[in-house]
Amino acid sequence: MAKKVLTVCPYCGAGCRLYLLVEDGKVVGAEGAPGRTNEGTLCLKGRYGWDYLNDTQRLTKRLTQPLLRDKSGELAGVSWDEAIGFVADRLTAIKKKHGPDAILCTGSARGPGNEANYVMQKFTRAVIGTNNIDHCARV
Amino acid sequence: MSNGVPEIEDAKCLFIFGYNAADSHPIVARRIIKAKEKGAKIIVTDPRRTEAARIADLWLPIKNGTNMALVNAFANVLITEDLFDKDYVAKYTEGFDAYKEIVLRYTPEHAEAITGVPAADIRKAMRIYAGSPTSFILWGMGVTQYGQAVDVVKGLSGLALMTGNFGKPSVGCGPVRGQNNVQGTCDVGCLPNVYPGYQSVTDDKVREKFEKAWGVPLSPKAGVTMTMVPHLAQEGKIKAFYVFGEDPVQSDPDAGHMRHTLDHLDLVVVQDIFFNKTSMHAHVVLPATAWGEHEGVYSTCDRGFQHFNKAVEPKGDVKPDWEIISLVATRMGYPMHYDNTEEIWNEMIALCPKYAGATYEMLDKYGSIQWPCPTVGHPGTPYLFSGNKFNTPSTKGNLFAAEWRPPKELPDEEYPLVLSTVREVSHYSVRTMTGNCAGLQSVADEPGYIQMSVADAEAMDLEENELVWISSRRGKVMARIMPSERINKGTVYMTYHWWVGSCNELTIDNLDPVSKTPEYKFCAAKVEKVADQAWAEQYVKDEYARLRARMGCQTAAPAAAAEAAANAN
Ligand code: SF4
Ligand code: SF4
Repeated sequence: MAKKVLTVCPYCGAGCRLYLLVEDGKVVGAEGAPGRTNEGTLCLKGRYGWDYLNDTQRLTKRLTQPLLRDKSGELAGVSWDEAIGFVADRLTAIKKKHGPDAILCTGSARGPGNEANYVMQKFTRAVIGTNNIDHCARV
Repeated sequence: MSNGVPEIEDAKCLFIFGYNAADSHPIVARRIIKAKEKGAKIIVTDPRRTEAARIADLWLPIKNGTNMALVNAFANVLITEDLFDKDYVAKYTEGFDAYKEIVLRYTPEHAEAITGVPAADIRKAMRIYAGSPTSFILWGMGVTQYGQAVDVVKGLSGLALMTGNFGKPSVGCGPVRGQNNVQGTCDVGCLPNVYPGYQSVTDDKVREKFEKAWGVPLSPKAGVTMTMVPHLAQEGKIKAFYVFGEDPVQSDPDAGHMRHTLDHLDLVVVQDIFFNKTSMHAHVVLPATAWGEHEGVYSTCDRGFQHFNKAVEPKGDVKPDWEIISLVATRMGYPMHYDNTEEIWNEMIALCPKYAGATYEMLDKYGSIQWPCPTVGHPGTPYLFSGNKFNTPSTKGNLFAAEWRPPKELPDEEYPLVLSTVREVSHYSVRTMTGNCAGLQSVADEPGYIQMSVADAEAMDLEENELVWISSRRGKVMARIMPSERINKGTVYMTYHWWVGSCNELTIDNLDPVSKTPEYKFCAAKVEKVADQAWAEQYVKDEYARLRARMGCQTAAPAAAAEAAANAN
């Protein structure tokens, strides 16, 4: 028996609510849920858009580990500790040398959600020290 | 949007401007059809004969790049034919005299010469719009992706103000946006001039509140926009770019310039779920969990907060975005730790009076809460500006008009066509999500299409599905011709999802001076026939394989994989 998880379609601003059908830890389908905007209906994207979670590699690869450029210039897998350390050190150095306004961060208008975006703008403002935070509302 | 999506179906007049709901938001399109069934009059302004145009009572096929002239002419008709609500204008608006002075110059006849829309239809449109008890304006990328976007948006809002179409159900204005959570990203302050809850970074009182909450002094100076990055990097003012869940190489205008920019920055951090085009230029790539693997809140295009849940465990060594950012912050000497998204959400709503009552508990209870929601238990606010109080210091609505400015790059002998970018029903934005879904992949495939009028295709001797070169002053890509009766002569349309036929290799980064939106909807281009079609087909295959290989995808090409899957079933 599939478990039903109530969620929100991530494919457009209509914000249709839907159930993801989960079996053995895998998403196997989706169906419309009674939401304020969609009242149980879904479009093509909402109905079939969950498939990428199963990493079909039809187009590109899901990222599964942090990557860092090595000496030869290739991106290679590293530990989280190394990747986070690299980002923090480089940002700190650039901020020191060129000032906080030399750094720009983006929010994401796609899957991450409001909390992740709140944390990103807080990071930009409180940790980097600039208001250079933007996203693709313009696109 | 000032009013909610469900209210669309009860409006007596829908005024749809540069917005193709059927392709961008099918569920909004459903409401438009319902409104029609309930007797609403529908007016559509679009150069293409969109689905909405087909069911419209009046379709105004406007020449690309002339929006402002038409909007001014609408206002002209409201004044000269005495169709506006004088009492409402006197009580609730300001700026009428200056507004009048500009729009009086845009007679319907003058606008007809610029826009190609018959003067009689301009008049007819306003008689319907102003004569209806409730009129709702919907606009989309056909308005916002021009060099003169903000002026047009203010102009459209002006029409609603002139006719008293605010502050009650089924009226107002709705920008219906593309990305699912653009509204949310703005709501929580991922904008260079405001903190979460649209609180200005230059307001001392507001800034003090956030300084106290976050425990550090904050910059009083508004930041720069993302679309300014190429220019600022060239001037040496931007050195590092932390790209979170976006793919500017694919999505921003003038891709060649963007790649060049990224390669000259001291640091490019990419945080995403898939390997994308921008990550090819990254120094470091941080892998995050995807929708379905984490929870949180999204905002709908009509300001509705909705809680979404986690369904499955992520595969691989990935982390939620907020956790990754917190780890970097902590390593930089600013300890940041959250146990879950609810803790983050509570921190934010405590700082934003407009969101204060939208706790997870209340979101789960109501399903969707449209802000403002000032107290716990408040069910949210379906429409804004109740009592006709607006977000201005005087609380009056601003009537605004501006002179029409033509787009920057007009067609000429060398590049005789107008290129405009649009979206397709099945593919979402840069496609790393939907491009990986079997069900969607079959609908449309690389290298993507150029929609062209039948007349233009015949004149150039081009057949459906024929591969052609399309180029602008900035680049050249290959794509397939799709002739259509719905397309206006002289303009071609491309969608921006494709890798081989990537239209942003061609577009221009002329920005709106206020919104800094690039002019995706207008640049000059030319289409060239390719004599050897077999060679062209091979070229597309090779290019696609090359791009996929560079992104680390070694599996069979999608068509083959889909076939294999179909056979297996
Ligand atoms: S189901 Fe379709 S209309 Fe609804 S949110 Fe998803 S993409 Fe948008
Ligand atoms: S890739 Fe998508 S999210 Fe990123 S800028 Fe483009 S449209 Fe916006």
